[in-house]
Amino acid sequence: MSASPAAGRRVLVAAGIAAAVALWVFAFLQLWQTSVPSDLSLPALDPTHYFSQSEIDRASSYQTFLNVDALLALVAQLVALGIYAIKGPGFVRESAAGRIGTGMLLGMLGLAFVWFSQLPFGLAELWWERKHDVSSQGYVTWLIDYFLAAGGEFLFISLALLIVMALTGLWKRWWWVAAAPALVAVTLVFAFVQPYLIPGQHDVHNPAIAADARQLAKQEGIPGTKVTVQNTHNLGGGPNAEAMGLGPTRRVVLWDSLVQRFPNPQVRVVLAHEFAHLSRDHLWKSFGFMALLALPIALAVALITRRRGGLYEPASVPLAIFVVAVLLFATLPLQTAFTNRLESEADWVALNTTRDPGAMTSLFQRLGRLSKAEPDPPGWEQFVFGDHPSIMQRIEMAKAWRERNPGR
Amino acid sequence: MTGEAPAAPPPGEPPATPPTADAGSPTERATIVVTDDLERSRLTTFFRLILVIPHLIVLALFSILALVLAIINWFWALFTRNTVAHDMQARYLRYATHVFGYLNLIANPFPGFEGAPGSYPLDPQVPEPEPQNRWKTGFRLVLVVPALMLATTLGVAGSSSYSGNYSVGLITTVAFLAWFAILAIGRMPRGLRDLGVYCLNYGIQYWAYVLIVTDRYPDSDPLTKDYGPDPAPDQPIRISEDAELRRSRLTVFFRFLLFLPHLIWLLLWGIVVQFTVIANWFVTLFAGRPADPLHRFNGAYLRYVTHVYAYVSLVANEFPGFVGAPGTYPVDLHIAPRERQNRWKTGFRLILAFPAMILASAVGGLLFFVALFGWFVGLFLGRMPLGLRNLGVFALRYSAQASGYLWVLTDRYPFSGPSLEQLPLEQPPTESAPLPEPA
Repeated sequence: MSASPAAGRRVLVAAGIAAAVALWVFAFLQLWQTSVPSDLSLPALDPTHYFSQSEIDRASSYQTFLNVDALLALVAQLVALGIYAIKGPGFVRESAAGRIGTGMLLGMLGLAFVWFSQLPFGLAELWWERKHDVSSQGYVTWLIDYFLAAGGEFLFISLALLIVMALTGLWKRWWWVAAAPALVAVTLVFAFVQPYLIPGQHDVHNPAIAADARQLAKQEGIPGTKVTVQNTHNLGGGPNAEAMGLGPTRRVVLWDSLVQRFPNPQVRVVLAHEFAHLSRDHLWKSFGFMALLALPIALAVALITRRRGGLYEPASVPLAIFVVAVLLFATLPLQTAFTNRLESEADWVALNTTRDPGAMTSLFQRLGRLSKAEPDPPGWEQFVFGDHPSIMQRIEMAKAWRERNPGR
Repeated sequence: MTGEAPAAPPPGEPPATPPTADAGSPTERATIVVTDDLERSRLTTFFRLILVIPHLIVLALFSILALVLAIINWFWALFTRNTVAHDMQARYLRYATHVFGYLNLIANPFPGFEGAPGSYPLDPQVPEPEPQNRWKTGFRLVLVVPALMLATTLGVAGSSSYSGNYSVGLITTVAFLAWFAILAIGRMPRGLRDLGVYCLNYGIQYWAYVLIVTDRYPDSDPLTKDYGPDPAPDQPIRISEDAELRRSRLTVFFRFLLFLPHLIWLLLWGIVVQFTVIANWFVTLFAGRPADPLHRFNGAYLRYVTHVYAYVSLVANEFPGFVGAPGTYPVDLHIAPRERQNRWKTGFRLILAFPAMILASAVGGLLFFVALFGWFVGLFLGRMPLGLRNLGVFALRYSAQASGYLWVLTDRYPFSGPSLEQLPLEQPPTESAPLPEPA
């Protein structure tokens, strides 16, 4: 008995989908791997041994407000974009541009809706941080920064829509296959030039830190990696550092608030952590993960906007933005878990490089106090927002490393 | 102004009639009747700054009297809605207009000291006294601030600064350029004269408002002014606008950020245009006329620049396309097909364009003012005032003409007078071949 051609085609399609899913899962598992020993079990430490009870209570109260604020901001964003998905097509009349130009306008206006929806929550967060001396940024400065930051987002979405809508002109149904890698490629370009866009950078003036940086970079297999210090006193935030750039542009940027106020052993830990992001190719892994997420999201956008003529039609852009926002929201725990693993690996590599768990413990104690971070947040909080290990998890990792390397 | 904007015609179609402002009847606002014949004496022009000194002394004394009367009238109008010594204030306004017209080379004869009506080629018509609104009188000093800023930009506010930034004003730029032009050709260029008349006209309206002569707010619309009986000469680069005054508050609020993708594209395209302009200059110099593809390419860029600046300065509402295609935007630039050009004018284009670029820079200040106030008004009212929009259209047109001249799109010198916008755009010149439709 021979199968009909339609049935054969269905089998082929099903096999293709299964192969694609398998490939996706395989790629995801590859990215999921880290150098943190799989048998590493973190000891359950008592936070009160590292923080006073009043500090823990204050941090808990402080973080509760921020969590509620962040959750409400997420909901407000989805509501705003939901309204925009319905009302947004009306803005087509505000454009005299062609198909793509109108799509760009609608994309930017979607972000304008988000801007308005996030404004009260951003202000509330700033008010709370100022009240608790975590931030000293003024409201006007914040508003100006917030407004100008929207400019960068407007540009990015314009470029993204330019690419996507140009692809829809070429492949009306299959644009999403090319869109995901194209968008990741654009992000790669941004990541490549990002180090040159950070204002107020200068070389490390402290000779000891500069020497440490050279030595740590060499130890982690990325000798000669550039390290700069960024003037952030006008940002009014706490200490921080960042690894950025790709290939020849990669560098570590330390905030001056870190370099000036923290002892050298703790700065060494931060440096080693940031170098680990570079040496373990975390940026590339992030892009790979982004590509894996982008593909099904683009497919979902293509399917859901089909009723409005697909993303070929600019009137579909508001709905497409809403779909992307919902899917990003739905996958938020996955995203945070992935980032969390990379951060854990960077901590582990930093411990192996500096071999100074004491410095790491004191660093995170101090960072926790300054940022009023909850040392051991509730599980749901880590599940949704925990893109970094909690303070106690990091201290516990230092302890676990010490137990595996007695004598340190 | 009614506040209700008529429906916009399809993009690209020129308006059936030139837009006009509902500025009230001529007697309600001060205005200037122009009978000047553009003839100028080189001798008196050369010494104009010295010749005007006696008038400036008299004007300074007269100003003190006018100011005292204005203060008295402020109290008087606040209680009785009426003013006193209206004839004296009207005479002061006339005299000041005569003196500044003479100083800035907008008129030729040495004015009399009486400020008599009908005695000068620039004859101000001051409205008859009428009861004034108490609220408008009480808050006159606050209400006047936007008008003060425009008057300062035009150089007719009597001060050169409203924010600590020194500015000579548009009329001073006009006078500076006119001084050289008159000494060279013995005549006042029509465009400069008309621009000067516009400035003076706004000035007399502003001062009539400040001095409590009338409570009618100064009208910034260049289309409602009298520029004399002769129409302005037509030009190969013209602008058209639709009747749409509605503005989307959301896009107004984010207008500058929405402009950013265009800014990037302007910069990128502009890099290429630098080379194509140079190439076209060589072609025009040797062949006597521009190369058609280069003419169209550079023309498209100029049109695109006009579309984008119309958008960011709120002169237009719709988000523009990215290719500068003709007939795709409510505020559109019409560029005539390439034509034979004088080789001398082409060879020395960079030098010849210098005065036009100076004036374009000053006119750019007007466009900034339009954008700034258009933003506030657009945000609150959801529409653009017609006068402000038309002022922006003029600024855009002159800037485009100046650039078009510099970029060898035409060898016709830019016409600086706002009177060109009064000339109906009956048969918009189009380029020899249409550009592809925008993406």
